[in-house]
Amino acid sequence: MSPSSSADIADLIARCALRDRRAFRDLYGRTSAKLFGVTLRILKDRAEAEEALQEVYVKIWQRADRYVAGGYSPISWLVAVARNHALDILRARKPVADDIDAALEVADAGPDPEQAAVDTGERARIEGCLGELEPAKADAVRGAYLDGFSYEELAARHSVPLNTMRTWLRRSLIKLRECLSG
Amino acid sequence: MSLERGHGGSEDDQVLVAEYALDLLEGGERAAVARRIATEPALAAELKRWRQRLSTLDGEFAETPAPTNVFSRVEARLFGESKPAGWWNSLPLWRALAAGSLAVAVVAVGINLMQPRFDAETTAMQLVAALQAQEGSGIEFVAFYDMGTKMVRIMGLEGQAVPDKDFELWYIEPNEPAVSMGVIPVDQRVEIPLDPAARERIGEGTVLAVTLEQKGGSPTGQAQGPIVAVGTATPI
Repeated sequence: MSPSSSADIADLIARCALRDRRAFRDLYGRTSAKLFGVTLRILKDRAEAEEALQEVYVKIWQRADRYVAGGYSPISWLVAVARNHALDILRARKPVADDIDAALEVADAGPDPEQAAVDTGERARIEGCLGELEPAKADAVRGAYLDGFSYEELAARHSVPLNTMRTWLRRSLIKLRECLSG
Repeated sequence: MSLERGHGGSEDDQVLVAEYALDLLEGGERAAVARRIATEPALAAELKRWRQRLSTLDGEFAETPAPTNVFSRVEARLFGESKPAGWWNSLPLWRALAAGSLAVAVVAVGINLMQPRFDAETTAMQLVAALQAQEGSGIEFVAFYDMGTKMVRIMGLEGQAVPDKDFELWYIEPNEPAVSMGVIPVDQRVEIPLDPAARERIGEGTVLAVTLEQKGGSPTGQAQGPIVAVGTATPI
């Protein structure tokens, strides 16, 4: 896949919003490897990741008009659609906890284009700030975001008690925020 | 709730929102935070900032080429372009099937080549299909499906790759449109994981066919090229 500029991707999304099927095919060609990487990493099951990828592009076509160009990275928006969809599937796999409200609320909190973009300065900064955390703690943050691991899974993977993991991660997030705001 | 520093609330709130953005909250706690985000603009703004910060990690998702049949399935779902038409209504094909001329003659070969594992836990059915040459194509494949592992293994027995073309594998049930299982090479064995729909539908008597398509496979989700090999799945 040839690298595509943000402007190209944004343009393709805009044309999808205008129901341009050729643009949709082109967008798929340029971005499906990335989004398959997302669903595969989170779901860790090839068949499920393929199924999810299919549903993700159905959503992208249906919601293309909700992407607002300008200042925001279009690929981040696409990744957010894929990541949220994969996380929905992960949640559905787990035995449902207590309330239906949670599911409703979260389903409503769909990806918002404005939530998903960053300028290059901030990119360098978060990498620098993650680098200031202890490696295991930075790994935990990555595992939560990139793999969709729950606190239980993170605790098991790092062989620490659940509450220790909660404390680790919360402190890491506070440090990250301080570092990024500083 | 306190709104210290006027940007995203107290430290506790900021951490809560970060946990929400990372999908670490569960049940009632997640619902409560979602409700607050919906009603408190400062928290909504903080969520947006966290999502922006975290999205800088997106580069760590490794690009992985998607199977070729995914896009045709997307198009079929969105645009309804998977109506049966074309070659699977081909008279010679069904005549041939009806006449039983495609008897599974290569079953034994298939078993030997594929070395199916008879795991203790795998009591599920296993199927083999010999995809024999059509119209003198000289292309033959053998496919092995293990319902336990939910994988189809397929290998070319005869024939060579065609420049600028790809072979594409399909499964067909009576009165149903053919469904692509992706592009397959002739010169190596490949394993194809089945999606849940295919797992449900593929069984004894399912017809597998290989067509010659443009590079990368049929772009429409419907077979466009000629059938070069076809066979019926049979239990072993």
